[in-house]
Amino acid sequence: MNATFTGLELRRVLRDYVSMFFIAVLPAFFYLIFGAAQEFGSEDAGNGNVAMYVMISMAAYGAVTATTGIGGMAAVERMQGWGRQLGLTPLRDEGYVLMKAVVAVVVASIPITLIYLLGVVTDAEGSVGAWVLSALVVLTGAAVFALYGLVFGLAFRSEAAVGAASGSLVILAFMGNIFFPLSGTLLTLAKFTPLYGYVSLARYPVTEGYLVNTSNGTVTHEALWGAAG
Amino acid sequence: MDTTTTGPAAVELLGLVKTFRSPGGQLVRAVGGVDLTVSPGEVVAFLGPNGAGKTTALDMVLGLTTPSAGTVTIFGADPRQAVMTGRVSAVLQTGGLLRDITVRETVQMIASTFPEHSGVDEVIDRAGLTSLARRKVAKCSGGEQQRLRFALALLPDPDLLVLDEPTAGMDVAARREFWDTMHADAYAGRTVLFATHYLEEADAFAARIVMIAGGRIVADGPTEQIRSQATGRTVSADLPQAGAAHALARLRGMPHVAEVTTQGRRVTVTSGDSDAVARALLGELGASNLEIASGSLESAFMTITAAPDRGARTEREVTR
Repeated sequence: MNATFTGLELRRVLRDYVSMFFIAVLPAFFYLIFGAAQEFGSEDAGNGNVAMYVMISMAAYGAVTATTGIGGMAAVERMQGWGRQLGLTPLRDEGYVLMKAVVAVVVASIPITLIYLLGVVTDAEGSVGAWVLSALVVLTGAAVFALYGLVFGLAFRSEAAVGAASGSLVILAFMGNIFFPLSGTLLTLAKFTPLYGYVSLARYPVTEGYLVNTSNGTVTHEALWGAAG
Repeated sequence: MDTTTTGPAAVELLGLVKTFRSPGGQLVRAVGGVDLTVSPGEVVAFLGPNGAGKTTALDMVLGLTTPSAGTVTIFGADPRQAVMTGRVSAVLQTGGLLRDITVRETVQMIASTFPEHSGVDEVIDRAGLTSLARRKVAKCSGGEQQRLRFALALLPDPDLLVLDEPTAGMDVAARREFWDTMHADAYAGRTVLFATHYLEEADAFAARIVMIAGGRIVADGPTEQIRSQATGRTVSADLPQAGAAHALARLRGMPHVAEVTTQGRRVTVTSGDSDAVARALLGELGASNLEIASGSLESAFMTITAAPDRGARTEREVTR
């Protein structure tokens, strides 16, 4: 583990203000609008309230945006010749992957920390177990999406492709039941999209497998997986 | 050449072959059997046209590509081992830098991968980059980026320095500036192996030239010797209407002739022996309006690469 290298890689990401806006600021703003500012935010939802449910969703969205971008850029950089430059150093591939993974996890924890802090100061409520467990699931689950970015980077070999991969997360987030509760056919389809399972798992400590439905103006709970409950 | 060897060669290539499968599925032989020994302290130029196999051969020297056949030994060790211990380093062709970090950060990053190195500020100074240390790589010119690659190559204080077309894409002034930096530093007992397609560069900087074409070595010797071989000239003249076909066949069959082209009645011959061609044209072939010009570097190169074997010649025509 090379602290200088990792630190410089981290600094690169942090001073890319455009990326940081999409990773941290935008999801935090979404939480304030769709969670904290809504009157149903204080309604009960399992081991917490609806604001907490929205908080976890937006933190998950920010975290996957971070890991997708970092995974994708790692692939593009290596193919654009930086890999050859690194090939002239004693650094091994495993070491490189490990450092990128550390950077991805650290950057993904930024939106999680920011949005959870906003949750604390607004009215998100939940059991201690729900706070801790949901944050851990958001972070570990996000790591998987570094591979999603990696695939785009390897397949299309350009920064633009990585941007497109990050952008596609907006659609996947809608389809994954992250931004607002889906119902009917859309909900059926949602279960086949990649972010659905991830965010459902992250909310599990709060919902214990129930879905929140606000489509008819009131908060009702539905079973998450068909006949469950 | 040396009769006493005191240690392992700096570079030893034995029967080196690299084949690729092209996108069309054809097998392409980028390097077709190269044997080469470079002694410690030598400055050697790898001279050849684009597509001659220079980069592929150097990639194998650096352990960036595995040979399809043959062996590479660097100071008696495997290339990757030589890289790990900092005995070999390289300035690669364009590309390969992160654009969003500064010059100094780039050097810091690469330096951090070596257990021991020459010092970040030290190599920045030696590459003449001190005033640019805080500039983003994206804002550096091609020549400045190349000097940054040179600074990175100096970090492990290598015994063998490989330069792959270090001045490609630079203008004349930047090229001179780069070589001045190189002169100032790299002569300090280092073995230098550099690829170029500029004959002047090889001539000015190397003591030995290895000419490569079509993935094979076509000439290898001290710079003066290669230079004297490369004094090809072009002879042009108007052929008489009758017997033109016979005349062309006769010219093509002459020794040292590299190329014969025609434009209407005018024939142009590139040859290592312009006197013989001129004598034949004015004498037996009855040509008129004869002109002799000293060949361009390109035609000089053709004279040499065409001579040793026909295989190299075919390759050259394909790559033109």
